[in-house]
This record gives sequence, structure tokens and C-alpha cells, in this order.
Amino acid sequence: MRQTLTLAITKIAAGTSRMLGRGGGGALPGLIAEKLDPTLGTNLAAQLPHGVILITGTNGKTTTTKLIAAELEAHGEKVLTNRSGSNLRRGVVSSLIDASNMGGEIDATIGLFEVDEAWLRIVAAELQPRRIVVLNLFRDQLDRYGELDTLAKLIGEGIAATQAELYLNADDPLVASLAKYAARPELVNYFGVEGLPAQTAGHQVSPIDSDHCPICSAELNFSRVFYGHIGHYRCPRGDFSRPQPEVSLTHVNETSAETSKFTVAISGKRQDFELGLPGTYNLYNALAAISLGYGYGVSVANLEQAIRTTDAAFGRVESVAIGNKTLLLLLIKNPTGFTQVIETFLAAKTRPNILMIINDNLADGRDVSWLWDVPLEILAASRPQVICSGIRATDMALRLKYAEIDSLCVEDPSSGLNRLLDAIPDGETGYILPTYTAMVAIRRELSLRTSMPEVKI
Amino acid sequence: MKSIVIAHLYPREMNIYGDLGNIITLRKRLEWRGYAAEVRAVEVGKPFDFSEVDIVFGGGGQDSGQLLVGADLAERGEELRRLAAEGVPMLVICGLYQLFGRAFMTLEGQNIPGIDVFRTTTTGSPTRMIGNIVIESSFGRLVGFENHSGQTRLEPEQSPLGKVKRGFGNNSAGKFEGAVSNNAIGCYLHGPVLPKNPELADAMILTALNRKYGVTELASLDDSAELAAAEVAARRP
Repeated sequence: MRQTLTLAITKIAAGTSRMLGRGGGGALPGLIAEKLDPTLGTNLAAQLPHGVILITGTNGKTTTTKLIAAELEAHGEKVLTNRSGSNLRRGVVSSLIDASNMGGEIDATIGLFEVDEAWLRIVAAELQPRRIVVLNLFRDQLDRYGELDTLAKLIGEGIAATQAELYLNADDPLVASLAKYAARPELVNYFGVEGLPAQTAGHQVSPIDSDHCPICSAELNFSRVFYGHIGHYRCPRGDFSRPQPEVSLTHVNETSAETSKFTVAISGKRQDFELGLPGTYNLYNALAAISLGYGYGVSVANLEQAIRTTDAAFGRVESVAIGNKTLLLLLIKNPTGFTQVIETFLAAKTRPNILMIINDNLADGRDVSWLWDVPLEILAASRPQVICSGIRATDMALRLKYAEIDSLCVEDPSSGLNRLLDAIPDGETGYILPTYTAMVAIRRELSLRTSMPEVKI
Repeated sequence: MKSIVIAHLYPREMNIYGDLGNIITLRKRLEWRGYAAEVRAVEVGKPFDFSEVDIVFGGGGQDSGQLLVGADLAERGEELRRLAAEGVPMLVICGLYQLFGRAFMTLEGQNIPGIDVFRTTTTGSPTRMIGNIVIESSFGRLVGFENHSGQTRLEPEQSPLGKVKRGFGNNSAGKFEGAVSNNAIGCYLHGPVLPKNPELADAMILTALNRKYGVTELASLDDSAELAAAEVAARRP
């Protein structure tokens, strides 16, 4: 009775919000349900015959969720997911409400939700997922979350509240250390990279986030570093070392600005994959998806097809044409992601035209100090032409100044976009690097000028 | 070429929230005036010769980092106290500011002794003080971003860095921020602090050049980008 009433009220609220043009209600139904019937999420999730999968980690949640959804659909599942940006508890519960009828029945066989790292503890306890994927833990919006070690502990408590199978990144020491929270050791699966050209020395300007042993705090010895603190490591006192992954990337065969071709060993058997996304970080996203899919029982042929045919997730490498010019949208939200974007797309170009849009709203993180953890110096040699926009345009311009890169401050992103389009030569590509809320705003702007769909959050 | 040596305390463990930007700022503002800068890292368990050091800098870190460096710092305490007394310019932020005081008591009740450069005591608290902060100091208005749960109390004879205009500062009373002893400055200002507060950066640089080479004046730089960013930060929540 209470559930039906709550469902009715939340659905009316979502409908009203849509009518008033405030978007699809986003997190509103979940927010109301928290007050009226806190058990609604648990009860609705229990309706899903194949249970719930949660994806968490600092970078790559949206892309990985998209890849896994494609795998599961190829496997014949009807997948319910949440939209990017709705990955707090209320967003996840809203997705469940949205998909259910008044009787609380859900037209899906499985729930696949990306969950904000700080919310995993609550959402895992509530939805009792059968599988949890943890991608990586980087510094991100520390003003919201406190410290990385604290965050890992919170995620661990979430894991400990379930009987879930774990899919962990073996190459991230803090993530690998979460294995100890599994209900049973045999529930733990690892994915990792064996063969990849290790990061060249000199690019190692970015500070390492997590390079101490999670057991004894001694400084870990890294034999290889792929990016940030992701690599092959060992505690000098022998307390902790990289676990051997069952699903591992053995070889990268080809990379370009659009695709990556690579070989993965799945429990010893080799399989070639092609992914329509560039960059090392996306290789890890694909690997996580392959690991989960394999563990779920998806055939290797279906895995290969799903990875090959999935487009970029919202804001992660999207391209849009305006006249005869192309714009590439590349979300930046923390030092590691920003650094990867520079290395993958910009550092090798000559005089690239770039629009950097930096906001400091809550969803971006209030503190913009992180811009100083990005080694922008590696961009100086390509002599980029940069326009800085957004609320903290002046902070971006100041960081660039100290990397010996001139830029132009145009606070209004729409005017910044005009300047960028003027500067891009005919037939060439320009780059837009926005923070999260800036991405939402610039997409709205682009949707007015092109066929790019607006995304409502 | 005249060169300034900057000792960077524990860059591996204590480098959170863009504190590296302070080193970049000192280096660039020296270079733009025709001086060289050499940054030397002080690392846990490794010998370090402070005799050639002109500026000391240290940032904030996670609690685990703080525990790791606490013991190492204690062994260098006497030397750092002597340098501070001699007037070497120092800037320590957040975690190392706390450890440059008398003691830091963590939330779990663990007592990490400090090195006593500042007459301060810090206790961990369950609430975090987060947001943009503006203070009035002898270097003029300073802006930054604070993010700490430590509550720092100053003994009566310890002078603060400045008066809080917006934000919390040393503790939730929200009256004063930071500490100054001779030319050593401790504070909670991230942002990082030096890029948006060039007058503070230049004061440290001039002190160092004066002590080493008798320089009495710095060539002026165009600080419009610095001041524009400070202006925006001062208005943000």
C-alpha cells in the first residue's frame, strides 16, 4: 500500500516536472521516495530477476556502464541503467521508479547502475548487487569526499554489506586492496594490463595519487607505470603486491585518435578486440567491461561485438560538425583525466585550437586547485591557441600563464565557442575541454546550432 | 646566474590540492626576473643538506601521508627550527602547517608531535571546513580555498597570518587564519595560495634574494592575470 502510494506520488512529481520543462524529473522521484518510503529502492531492485550490477570508480563509470549494457543486451538481457549524472542514491532509485509500473513491476531483467564512489556504501547496502565493478580511485573533487584512503574504506564497507562478486582493477593498488572486503575470497576477479608501452619518463610530472602500501604504508615499488598510479607494483616489505589478473590486456596492436585494437587474454585464451575510443584510460574501461561480461557468461563473440560497436558515452570524446569544421568534446574533471586528454589528443598537434571551460559548481567540485596538478607544461611545445571560459576562466588562464601558454579569457562559454569557431581553419578540428556542468551547458549551446541532442540532467 | 634553492618537503606524500602550484609560482617568478631556481626534494628516510637552502616549502597530504612524514620530520625538527629562527622564508600549508606546530592530535586520538616552529596545537574534528576563504594580512588581502578538519589553536604569543574576512581559518571560530614566526608562514590556504597572491610569493622571493645576495628590490611583473583570478575566487562560495 505504502509502496503504491509512493510510486504514484513520485511518478506524478516526475510528470509535473517534465511538463514544467524542468527535465525528466532527474533525481526528484528518488528524492521524494527517500522521504516517503525508504525501502522502495530495495523492494524494486528485488523485482529484477537477474539482480543488480554496480559500477564505481573515479574515471570511466559512464563509458564502462555503456559497454557492459551492450554486452548484456547482446546476451539477451533487458537492461535497466541510470543516466550519467544521476549516479547518487536518489538518481539510481529514480531510474527504478521510472521503469516500474504502479504495481512495482519492472520491465527489465537486470539493473546496471553507475554509482558515485562516495555513495556506493549506501547504494550497495540498499540494492544488494550481485556484482560490483571498481575501476580506479583518483583524486577527484576532494572537497566533497575528503581523502582517498577514507573513500576506499567507505567503498569497502559497501562491499562488505553484500555477497557480491567483485571485479577489481589489479593495476590500481587501492582498488586491488578492496578484495579484503569480499564476503568470500573466491568472489574476487581481477583485470589488468600486462603489455602496454609504459609511460615515458618525463611525462611523470603528475603527482602519484596512491603509491603507498595499503597494509603497511611503505612506499610501493613500481616496475611499470601506465598512467597516474596505475601499473605494476610491489610493497618493499612484501606485505602487498599486484594480484595476477584472470582477464588481462597482453598487447596493443594499433591506436589512433579514433580507435584502439588490442589483444586480451581471458583465462589464458587470446582474443582480439577493437574499441571505438582512444586513450589508455578507455582500454581499462573496455577491460573492466570484458572482465564483467566474461564473469557473467557472455560469449566471447558477443563481447567482441559489443566492444566494437559501442559509441562514446556522454561527453567522453564526442565529435560534432559545424559547417566544414569539427569540434571534439572532451570532458575534464580531475588531473588524471585532463592529463590523459592532453596526451591522447593535443600534445602531438601543431597549434591546436582549444576552448577550456572551467566551472566550480558543486558537481564540478568547488575547489579548482586541481588545475595545478595537471602538467600543462607538456602542451606548451605544440603552441596551442587557447580560449578560457566558464566561471573560473581566470584560474585556467593563470595556470596556463605559469606553463608559458598564452590564452584569451572569454567568460561566457557561448562567446568562447564563437571565438573558437572563428579560429579553427576550414576543414579542421577544434577541441572543447569542459568540466562537468560546463559540458552540460555547452551541449545545450551546440544543440541549438547542430543536430547534437541536448542532454537533460 | 643568481640562483635560489627551494627545499620541497615530502613531495610524494604531501602534495594534495595542487600545492605543487606554489613551487611552480616561486620558480617562474624567479625565472621571469632573470634568477634561477633549483628545487630539491626532502624525502622520508633520505639524508638532506639544508645548509644551502634559501626557501622551504611543504604542502598538505592525506592522514596516512602525515603519519608517514611525522616521524621523519621530527628528526629534522632542530635544523628547521634553527633555519626559521635565522629568518629563512618558509611556507607550509595544511598538513605540514599542523606538523610545524607543537602537536597534532588525530580524530582517533593519535598524538603526532610537531616540530615547534609555530606555537600552535591542532586537534582533529569530525567536521570539515571547506570553501573559498579571504583574509586580511600584512601582505594585503589573501584568497585561497580551505579544506581541513583540523582545528588549530594559537598560543597567545603566536601571531596569526591574518584576520578572516570570509570562511573559517584556523578553527571553526572563524576569527584568524594561519601563523607567522619570523619569515616562516603556516596556513590552510590551498588554491594554491601563491599563484593568486603574488605579493606573498614576491615577499618570500625578495627575502630569500636579500639574505643570499643583498637584493633589495624586485623588478615588477604584470600581475593582471593573477589579480583577475583572485578577484573571481574571492566572490565564489
